[in-house]
Amino acid sequence: MNRKNGKALVVGAGISGIRAALDLAEFGYGVTLIDRASHAGGLLSQLDYQFPNNHCGMCKMLPLIERDTASQYCLRKGFFHENIQMLLSTELLSVDGEPGHFQVSLKQKQNWVDPDLCMGCGLCTEVCPVEVPDAFNAGLSKRKAIYLPIPHAIPNPYVIDFAACTLCGECEKVCPTHAIRLSEQERKKFRILVVDDELVVRDSLKELLEEEGFFVNMAESGTQALEILSGSETPYHLMLADIKMPGMDGVELLQKTKERFQDTTVIMMTAYATVETAVEAMKIGALDYLIKPFEPDTLIPMILRVYEDFETAGALQAEFGAIVLTGGTAYYDPGTGKNTLGYGVYPNVMTSIEFERLFSGSGPSQGRLIRFDGKPIRKVAWLQCIGSRDIQLEADFCSNICCMYAVKEALIAKEKAADDLEASILYMDMRTFGKSFQRYRDEAEQVHGVRFIRGRAHSITQDRSSGDLLIRYGDSGGKIHEMVQDAVILSVGQRPAAGSRVLADMLNLPLNPWGFFESLPFSPTRTVRDGVFIGGSFSGLKDISESVIHASAAALSASRIIHASGGGLAIQAPPDSETLDVSREAPRLLLALCTCDGAIFDESGKRALRAHFESDPAVDRVEFLEQVCTAQGWSAFSERVKKHRPNRVLIGACLPYVYNAKLNALSREIGLSRALMDVADIRSPLFCAADASREEVDAAVKRALGMGIAKLKETDPTPLPSTPVRQRALVVGGGIAGMTAALAVADHGYPVDLVEQEAALGGNLHWIRKTIEGNETQSLLEETVARVEKHPNIQVYAGHHVAGAWGEVGQFFTSIEAGDGAVTTIEHGVTILATGGIEAKTKSYGHGTSEAVVTQKELEEKLTEGRIEPAALQSVVMIQCVDSREEPRNYCSRVCCASALKHALFLKEKNPSIKITILYRDLMAYGFLESYYTRARAADILFVQYDVKNKPSVVQEEGGLLVKVHEPILDAPVEIEADLVVLATGIVPTLPEPLAEAFGAHLDPDGFFREAESKWRPVDALKEGVFACGIAHSPRSITESIATAEAAAQRSLRILNQQALPASKVTAVVRHSLCILCERCIDACPYGARDFDLDHTQIRVNPLMCQGCGSCVTACLNGASVLEGFEKQQMLDVIDAALL
Amino acid sequence: MATAVKIDVKEQNLLGAFQGFFKILLELEDIHALLVPQQLPVKGSVMPTLVTDPDQLDGVDPLAPAFPLNAARVVSRLTRKPMGGKVVAVLRPCEIRAFIELVKLNQGSTEELILVGVDCLGAYSNADYYRLAGENPREITERFYQNVLGGKGTQMDGVDITAACKACEHPIPDQADLVVGLYGVDTQSGLYVEGKTPKGEDLIQRLGLPAAETPPSREGAIGALVAERTAYRDKMFADTREAAGSLDQMAEYFSHCINCYNCRVACPVCYCKECVFVTDVFYHEPAQYLKWSRRKGVIKMPTDTVFYHLTRLAHMSTACVGCGQCSNACPNDIPVMEVFRTMAHRTQQAFEYEAGKSLEEKPPLSDFREAEFEEVVGIS
Repeated sequence: MNRKNGKALVVGAGISGIRAALDLAEFGYGVTLIDRASHAGGLLSQLDYQFPNNHCGMCKMLPLIERDTASQYCLRKGFFHENIQMLLSTELLSVDGEPGHFQVSLKQKQNWVDPDLCMGCGLCTEVCPVEVPDAFNAGLSKRKAIYLPIPHAIPNPYVIDFAACTLCGECEKVCPTHAIRLSEQERKKFRILVVDDELVVRDSLKELLEEEGFFVNMAESGTQALEILSGSETPYHLMLADIKMPGMDGVELLQKTKERFQDTTVIMMTAYATVETAVEAMKIGALDYLIKPFEPDTLIPMILRVYEDFETAGALQAEFGAIVLTGGTAYYDPGTGKNTLGYGVYPNVMTSIEFERLFSGSGPSQGRLIRFDGKPIRKVAWLQCIGSRDIQLEADFCSNICCMYAVKEALIAKEKAADDLEASILYMDMRTFGKSFQRYRDEAEQVHGVRFIRGRAHSITQDRSSGDLLIRYGDSGGKIHEMVQDAVILSVGQRPAAGSRVLADMLNLPLNPWGFFESLPFSPTRTVRDGVFIGGSFSGLKDISESVIHASAAALSASRIIHASGGGLAIQAPPDSETLDVSREAPRLLLALCTCDGAIFDESGKRALRAHFESDPAVDRVEFLEQVCTAQGWSAFSERVKKHRPNRVLIGACLPYVYNAKLNALSREIGLSRALMDVADIRSPLFCAADASREEVDAAVKRALGMGIAKLKETDPTPLPSTPVRQRALVVGGGIAGMTAALAVADHGYPVDLVEQEAALGGNLHWIRKTIEGNETQSLLEETVARVEKHPNIQVYAGHHVAGAWGEVGQFFTSIEAGDGAVTTIEHGVTILATGGIEAKTKSYGHGTSEAVVTQKELEEKLTEGRIEPAALQSVVMIQCVDSREEPRNYCSRVCCASALKHALFLKEKNPSIKITILYRDLMAYGFLESYYTRARAADILFVQYDVKNKPSVVQEEGGLLVKVHEPILDAPVEIEADLVVLATGIVPTLPEPLAEAFGAHLDPDGFFREAESKWRPVDALKEGVFACGIAHSPRSITESIATAEAAAQRSLRILNQQALPASKVTAVVRHSLCILCERCIDACPYGARDFDLDHTQIRVNPLMCQGCGSCVTACLNGASVLEGFEKQQMLDVIDAALL
Repeated sequence: MATAVKIDVKEQNLLGAFQGFFKILLELEDIHALLVPQQLPVKGSVMPTLVTDPDQLDGVDPLAPAFPLNAARVVSRLTRKPMGGKVVAVLRPCEIRAFIELVKLNQGSTEELILVGVDCLGAYSNADYYRLAGENPREITERFYQNVLGGKGTQMDGVDITAACKACEHPIPDQADLVVGLYGVDTQSGLYVEGKTPKGEDLIQRLGLPAAETPPSREGAIGALVAERTAYRDKMFADTREAAGSLDQMAEYFSHCINCYNCRVACPVCYCKECVFVTDVFYHEPAQYLKWSRRKGVIKMPTDTVFYHLTRLAHMSTACVGCGQCSNACPNDIPVMEVFRTMAHRTQQAFEYEAGKSLEEKPPLSDFREAEFEEVVGIS
C-alpha cells in the first residue's frame, strides 16, 4: 500500500469532502475526514437520481488505482480507505499553528449507541414508543427516537435523538449486543444544582429534571449553593441560578462560582424585568439564561445541550499539514420569507428537496407520486428562483443548480407517472450554462413535453375541497395567467451552510456579502489563510461535477502545502512482508466462529456445525471463539492462526467490514495473502428471520459459511504483476489551464513536458485584460509564465505540436514536432490535454461587412488598443447567443453573458450617456455574477429578451446600424439605432480529434473532451491516465479553468506517485489457451482496458485500467476471460453452497 | 445490366447443369477454388470438397438430401486468416446463416469469399440417408429433386426430411452473393441465377450467360413453401413448450443424454476452442459428488446434464440458425433441435435479432445497451 508522510484534515463528508479525501488518500497521505452528522454522504444521501442520465453512479468515484486499499461497493452507503480515518458526529473546535503544521482540536459527540457493538438489527426501533418527523425524508414521514439517520448507510449504527427520547429504556432491554447504554445511570452522572429562593420553582425544576434522568440537588440561597459546591466530592456540572435572591444575588453567586469551580456551567434564571442583568451575566461567564415562568420545551433542550457537551469526550488533538473545508451548503426555507407562496400552509406546496424524497424509492410513499390526501400527482409545476435572485431577501445571486434539478425532477416525475403527467416550469431565465445542459433542456421540452413558461408566480391559493392549487403568475409581458395544479414544487435556492459564520470567525476567514466562504482571485480553493482551502459548495452552490472538480482542486492545493512542508514522498509504512506461496498446497482452512457471547450457538449446535464442516477435506479445523470483534477475542483468534498456520482463514461473525483493517495487518504479519482470508456474515441470518425455526437458522448459517469456504478454497493467491510507471507528465497546451496543471504536477517533484504550438505561452490570456470582478489578468499571465519558465521540473516546448502518440497509462510515447520539422520523442506516464478553445467566427448580423459589427473579443481588443473610444459612442447593442445554443452548436459558452455585462458596465462607466441594449435569450449570470446583472440594470442598461425562433436583425444604413427586435414586454417589434453592434459568438474548442484519439481519449458531439463520467469523473478520460482541463473540457472562465487544471493535476498525481502500480486482487486475465480471439470482450469492457495485441496475436488486459467489473467474463463464452477471485469453478461452488 | 442469368438444363440433368456452371466459375482467372458438396467415390457419401481443378467436378451434388455436417465451420477454418486466393463456396442457406454468425464473432471473413446459395430442398438425417443411398447416391439425388420440384413431396421409401428442414422458413439463401433458384423455376429448361450483392452482380456479368427475368411463379411458390414451413414450425414450438417447459420436464426430455457432447461438436455456431464442460470447471472434487448425493439421497450420474444443455442454450440460442445438426449428431435420438429452435425463437425475438440475417446487426451479447429488459432485471 502507498502511504506517505503527511496528513490532511477534510471538514465535511459530503460529495466534495469524499472526493478531496479520496484524492489525498490515493496520493498516499493520511486523511482525517470529519462530519458533524452521524453519517457521510451529505446532501446526496437524500438524492437518488442525477442529471444527465437520471441514475446515480457515485460508485464511479471509488479508487481506480490500488483498489484493494478501499471498499468497493456503493459509495452512497459509505466507504473505507486504509489512508482515511472517518470521524462522524465530529466538529472542528480550533486550529493553531502554521501551514504544514496545524494543531487541530476536534470534538466528537458521543451517542448512547456504541457503533462498534450495534449490528443494525433494528429491534430497538420496534419497541421505541416515540414518533417524530424524519429529517431524511424532509419531514414527510415519521421515525422513532432511536433510528437510522440514513436507511442505506454502511456501517449503519442506530442513533438516539436526545431531544425526542423519553428514556423509557425499552430499547436497552431488547438490544442483543448491549450496544445501548441509555440507562438512567448515565444521566445520573450529570449533576445539577438548582438555586432559587422560591420553593415552588425549586421543586418544579427538580421534578422536571429528575424525570429526564439527571441527578438534582437544591439550594435556597447563594451561600448555601456555594457550601454544597465546595462540600461535594464529585463536581456539579450545571448550576441553574436565580438572579433575584435575598442576600447573595445570582450574579454574585455566578462570579464566585466561576472563580472557584470553573468546570461548573451556569445558566441564569430571571424574571422578565431583569433580562438585561441576565444578558450582562453572560458576559461574565453564564452560558445562557431562562426567563420565568419557563416552559419545559425551552428548558429541556437547553439542559440537553449542556449535557451533550458533558457527554462529549475530551477534544481530540492532532496535527495536520493542511485543511480542506468542504462544508457544503444549506437550502433556503421558503417558510421564512415574506411571500411563502403557501409553503407550510398548503400541504401540496413543497420544496424541491421534499419532492426528491417523495419520488425516492426509500421515500415516504416508496417512490409513488401521491399527495398526502392520497390523490395521484398528475399536474405539477415548478417555481424557479425561490430564495434566489431576490434582492428583497438579500439574495442577489443565482443558485446555479435549480434550473437543472427542476428539469431533472420534471423528467423523473414524468417517467414515474409513465408519461401521464403534465409538468410545467415557471422561470425567469433557464440557466443551462453547463456542459450538455442545453440539449438536456431542449430534449425535456421537445421529446418529453415539459412545459417551459417564462414568468413569475405571485400567489398560490388552495381549493379547500379538492386541495388543488391555483397559481397566479405574470408572463414576460406582465399579463396575468392562472393554472391549477395537484402539487407545486418550490425550487429553493442556496444559503450558507449552518455554522459558516462561526467557522469563519474561528479560522479568521472572510465571507462574501451573502455569507459564503470567499476564495482568492483566480483561485477557486485558496483562502487568505495559507494551508486552509475550500472545496465544493462551501463557497457557493455547485452542481456535482463542479463540486467534484473543486474538491480535487482543493485536494491539490492541500497536497502542495503538505509536500512543500516536508511531507511528500517518504513512505511511512514498512514494506509488506514477503507473501507465502501456498499455491501448491492443498487447502487447509481454519474456520473461526464467533459465538457472540453464546448468543449464536449452543453446545449441540456447535457440535453439529463442527461435524458438518469437518467432513470437508479442505477444512482443517473449526474453532469457536468469544466475541472476535473485541480486542481480547481478536488476540485469541490471531493466536490460533499463528499456532495452526492454516493457508486459508474464514471468520464467521457479524459486520464483515469491521475486520478489514485487522485482517490486512494480520496478513502482513504472518505473510498469508489477504486474498486467502475472509469474513462470512453469520449474524444476519439470525435477525433476518425473526420467526424462523432453529433448523432454518442453522441452515442459513451453514449456507453463509459454506459459501465463504467455497470461495476461499478455489482462490488462486498468485499476485498479479504490477505496471511500471514513467513518472513524468505531458501537458498539451500552454494556456492558463495547461500552465497551472504543469506547475501543480511539477511542484510535487515530477518532471513535466509542456507543449505549446504558439511561440509564446498564455493562450487566451493575451487578449483578456480584466475579469468582471476587476481582477487584472495580465499580472496573472506574467507571474504564471515566469514560474513555468523558471521551474526546474518543467520543460517547455513552445512552437511545437504533437505529431503522434501511442501507449497507455504508465507509459506513453509522444512525438512532438517543431516548426522546422525536428521531431522529439517524449516518454511519459500521464497526459493532460489543455488545448483550449477560441471565440467562434461568425458571418451573422453582418459581421465582416461592417467595422461597426464586432465580436465581444474584438471589442475587448479594440478598447485595449484605443481603437474604440467609449466617449464617441452613443448607442451600443449587444446580441447574445450568436450561432450558439441552437444546432449544430447547441451549448452555452458560459462566459459570453459575463463578458457582455463586463463590457457594458465598462462602457457605461467611461461614458454614462451611452445607450446600451443587450439582446439575450436567457441571461446566464449564474452564481454571484447575478449581482453584476442587477448592477447593470440599475445603470440603465436595457435588456431585451428574444426568442431563438424570432431572432433580431441588423440593417446597415447610412450613418449607422439599425437593430430590429421583438420586444416581449410591449409585445411589439422595436427598432434601435446603434453605432456599434457587439456579437457574443461563444467558444469553440481547438482539440483535434486525431490528437485526442492518439491518447485514447474521445470527443463529445461539440468537439470538447468527453469525460469518463460527466459528474463523478469530470476531468478523466474513460481511458485511465488521460485527463483534460480548461476550455478543452468545456467553456469556462479563467478561475473555473484553473480549477479543472488543478483537478486534472491531482488525478495525474495518483498515478505518478509510484514507480510501479500493483494490480488489484480482482482483475481480469486471459487464458490464452482457451481464447479463440472473437474479441467480444474488447467490446464488452466499459473501461477500455482490453485490446488486441497484434505482436503476439492475443487479447491483452491492462491491469491498471481493468476495474474488475466482470463484463468481459459474461461476454466470453469460451471461459477464456477470467476474473481473479471470481473464477467459474469457484462461483459454481459458492452458488452450490448457497443452495444447501 | 443483367443481375440474373439462366443456366441451360439438358435432359432434366440438373447436376450436369450445376457442374457446367461451376466449371465456368472456376475457370475465371480471379477464382482460385470452389468449395462444393460432391459425391465421394467411396461409400457414396456427399461431403464438402475444396476444388481447384475445373476437371474435378464430376461428383458435384448440391441437391442431395444429405447434410452430413454444417459446412459453416469448414468455411470458418478456410477464412479465419487470409487464404491468399478467392474462393467460391456453395452452401445451403442454413450454412450461410451460421457462417454469418461466425464472421460476426471474428471466426471467419467474407473478404476473399463469394457465397453461392442454392434453394434448399431439405435433407434426410444422416442415418436415413446412408441407409437409402447405399452405393448409388446419384440416383437418390435425381429421384429426390424430381419429386420435390415435381410437387410430389419430400418423402421417399418411407423416410422424410428432418424436422429441422420441415420447420425451416429460410429455404431461400437470401444472404448469398449468388442465388441459384429452383422453387418456382422451370427447371426442365434451366436454372435461374441471381446476383444479390454487388459482389454477386459483378460475377454474374462476367459469366457470359444469357440474361434472365425472375420467373413469375417464383414468389408465389416460395410464399407457399414458407407458409407451410412456418405452420409446421409453430406447431413444433407449441409441442416443445409443452414437453420441456420446466426444469423437471427438461430433465425428463434429456434423460437419454449421456453427456457425449456430440450436439455441441456438430453445432456450427458453438465456436469455443474448448467447451467449458470439458474443462476443470466441471471436473469436480470427488468430495463434491458425495456432498450432492448426501443432500438428495440419490443423484443421476454423470451429473450436469441439464446444466450442460441450459448453458448451451444460454450461450448459443441467440446465434442458433436451426440447421438441426444437433439432433442429427445425437446417438440416442433426443430431439435436441426442437428445444434449441423453440428457445432460440424466443431469445432472438426478445433481442429483436435474427441469427444469420445480416452482417450488420451486432450479436445481442456484443451489443450492450444500458436500458433494456427493465422488466427482467428490475432496474429502470
